[in-house]
Amino acid sequence: MSETGVTMQFHPQPAAGTARPWAFPAPGRATLPNGLTVLRCDRPGQQVVAVEIFLAAPLDAEPTGLDGVATIMARAFSEGTDKRSAEEFAADLERCGATLDAHADHPGVRVSLEVPVSRLPKALGLLAEALRAPAFADAEVDRLVRNRLDEIPHELANPARRAAQQLSRELFPATARMSRPRQGTEETVTRIDAAAVRAFYEAYVRPAAATAVIVGDLGATDLDAVLADTLGAWTGTPAQERPMPPVTADDTGRVVIVDRPGAVQTQLLIGRIGPDRHDRVWPAQVLGTYCLGGTLTSRLDRVLREEKGYTYGVRAYGQVLRSGAEGTGAAMLAISGSVDTPNTGPALDDLWTVLRKLAAEGLNDAERETAVQNLVGVAPLKYETAAAVAGTLADQVEQHLPDDFQAQLYARLADTGTVEATAAVVSAFPVDRLVTVLVGDAAQIEEPVKALGIGEVTVVSG
Amino acid sequence: MPMGHTATAQAGSGGLTATEHRLANGLRVVLSEDHLTPVAAVCLWYDVGSRHEVKGRTGLAHLFEHLMFQGSHQVHGNGHFELVQGAGGSLNGTTSFERTNYFETMPTHQLELALWLEADRMGSLLSALDDESMENQRDVVKNERRQRYDNVPYGTAFEKLTALAYPEGHPYHHTPIGSMADLDAATLEDARNFFRTYYAPNNAVLSVVGDIDPERTLAWIEKYFGSIPTHDGKQPPRDGALPGVIGEQLREVVHEDVPARALMAAYRLPHDGTRECDAADLALTVLGGGESSRLHNRLVRHDQSAVAAGFGLLRLAGAPSLGWLDVKTSGGVEVPDIEAAVDDELARFAEEGPTAEEMERAQAQLEREWLDRLGTVAGRADELCRYAVLFGDPQLALTAVDRVLDITAEEVRDVARATLRPDNRAVLVYEPTAAEADDAADADAKGAEQ
Repeated sequence: MSETGVTMQFHPQPAAGTARPWAFPAPGRATLPNGLTVLRCDRPGQQVVAVEIFLAAPLDAEPTGLDGVATIMARAFSEGTDKRSAEEFAADLERCGATLDAHADHPGVRVSLEVPVSRLPKALGLLAEALRAPAFADAEVDRLVRNRLDEIPHELANPARRAAQQLSRELFPATARMSRPRQGTEETVTRIDAAAVRAFYEAYVRPAAATAVIVGDLGATDLDAVLADTLGAWTGTPAQERPMPPVTADDTGRVVIVDRPGAVQTQLLIGRIGPDRHDRVWPAQVLGTYCLGGTLTSRLDRVLREEKGYTYGVRAYGQVLRSGAEGTGAAMLAISGSVDTPNTGPALDDLWTVLRKLAAEGLNDAERETAVQNLVGVAPLKYETAAAVAGTLADQVEQHLPDDFQAQLYARLADTGTVEATAAVVSAFPVDRLVTVLVGDAAQIEEPVKALGIGEVTVVSG
Repeated sequence: MPMGHTATAQAGSGGLTATEHRLANGLRVVLSEDHLTPVAAVCLWYDVGSRHEVKGRTGLAHLFEHLMFQGSHQVHGNGHFELVQGAGGSLNGTTSFERTNYFETMPTHQLELALWLEADRMGSLLSALDDESMENQRDVVKNERRQRYDNVPYGTAFEKLTALAYPEGHPYHHTPIGSMADLDAATLEDARNFFRTYYAPNNAVLSVVGDIDPERTLAWIEKYFGSIPTHDGKQPPRDGALPGVIGEQLREVVHEDVPARALMAAYRLPHDGTRECDAADLALTVLGGGESSRLHNRLVRHDQSAVAAGFGLLRLAGAPSLGWLDVKTSGGVEVPDIEAAVDDELARFAEEGPTAEEMERAQAQLEREWLDRLGTVAGRADELCRYAVLFGDPQLALTAVDRVLDITAEEVRDVARATLRPDNRAVLVYEPTAAEADDAADADAKGAEQ
């Protein structure tokens, strides 16, 4: 081929065909005799079934000085039961072709099972056994504690994880659980033993304070019978509602540099807290945040990546921390990414210029339209797998939202105008109320960052 | 456009079918219908990867992949991204040793747009490629390298392991990200030549999977791709053949600011596409996959000498595959203790092979991974391209899980015996420098020793 030789025949850009309707699935909801709430959703063709268990055992319920006990408990669920040793449990579960993950976050503990539908009854039996009769053997809990202590230096070494920990420490009052690492610190994890894990379990884990979400190709499965034999056999006392503490944060504009001498890049995390999904502004905030930094054609990457080449990508997002029905919850609103060390000052300067321009001029109709088309249009892709649907349904449960929240959200996004989206994103990211954490080489970046005037700059050791 | 295979499900394909077609210009097309969700995946594999790169130009295939998103004759600047995302689609591209892939998943009614976009850049990229996008994407890729490899603890481990496991001059000696020096050295003319050499319809496979009308889809493909000229400038990659085993234990010790000691190793394993490779996959799963594997039980549960211990498999068709051992030590445990335990476990496994229960577990795990991969239209489209490009037959994607389930315990033992041995591995040891600051005895820590 040569540039002057043969060429292809060009055609005009094709128009879209007629859209086939799609809606976020509506789950069936029921309560088992033992008080367990069950959401189910049949997704033909999804041979790998996803089960999400939500346990209302929030991090703020961890006893003082025992941060991390919820995490150790979550991990200990798969370390043996009244019938099986830790090794037997792991082997039996994996022989089903299943994966089981558990983690503790501010709203509670999530246990996620994925398994081919043919082996769902067996795997659900194992999961029920773990929840109903966990062994919490001394030796296994001690091992999990030591393993967790070994993990901590790896997390601190990771620039993104280190930045996230620093931002929480900056934003939230020291007395608030949210100011401290979700999985505990070396000091608190060291104190955890089997007795502490069992006490936490007995206080918060019971079917009446739990929800199971089951999604997949369930057409050939008698799920009621399977549930009766498994999660339905779990017993416990009635649930007591635990009031949720209000979330407050200090978002005075300032910069904290976590010093990493010699780092070739600066990890940046810029954040504050703002409205969660219960707030009417949520759809507009989602839309505006996408326009600011949802993808590489959004405002931030258009400059920082595609014009300047300072970064592989910078994203803006809102991530719910904890929500309650009363509307006292909050979301973390943040901008994150990495920029090369010499361009850290110029990149932050450009970033603030993007925010100021957004506040001064607002979004335009074309970018709002593109954002709506993307956010609404990708839904059928995003929710193709059972795991994606189950994850969103469980998120709704833990955030005290109605089961049709996501389905309604798409209609609300489509109805949100440019003016509302602008107002929401500008109020989400005000230039003078952002806490900036930079994990990078202070010797190289401190002076250029100070010169920007985006807040007082302090340096802490890495 | 002769019809290839008919759409009759093969045994073990889970009811999935695919048809094959070839345009006059050599573009191979694979279609697979599935109307459960109103989405369609477009996937395009170009038969070019980092193994085709020449000395001094490592990273060029990947840098070029970025340039494919910088516009073409009818698509301005970032138009490819804007149009797909504005149509409710998702998209990306990736580069590996053996191929470069580009993919869009679209709502069904926007499928034609994705085909038009892929055809436009396949046929006319050079009319839009300029210095400005070259310079910009060079910086972006260098930042990608920093973010994913250079600024992360152990981030360059994989690069070091492949450099050890595949000798100097071997096409797989370097990884797709390339070196900073080579990224700096690449010129616009290099990029143009790369396109002229490798981006041709007869060097690609296009798959479309999902809620499609095959006849109409094929007509669109013919309309948009059919007039793109064939060209045959492609040179085959350098020969990747190597002896079945390395023949000696290679070793490098890295002193870096990492949080803990680590023992990693690369084992040379059979080529992808063989029964022996599937057997090796099962062996690595029994030994180092999940929470009930032999290495996890030994090092994490019993000895409590490791934070995590596992095996991964990098399947390669044009060179021996690579089994990647990764153990991060616990507390003050020394690497020789870990190494002795690993050797003990591998030797025992090579001797006795997997138990029936271990086979059942490993096969069930790999089966679920396959169901996951084939459970989305995008995953299926990618696998159909993979088998078409690397093995000449996309239908193999639909029966891959059957082949894994067909492997016997004896085959697993045999491949372990032949390959999981000390004289067939490259060992990479990490020693943290922070610990050395307290240990004044060790002053000349920098650099690697072989």
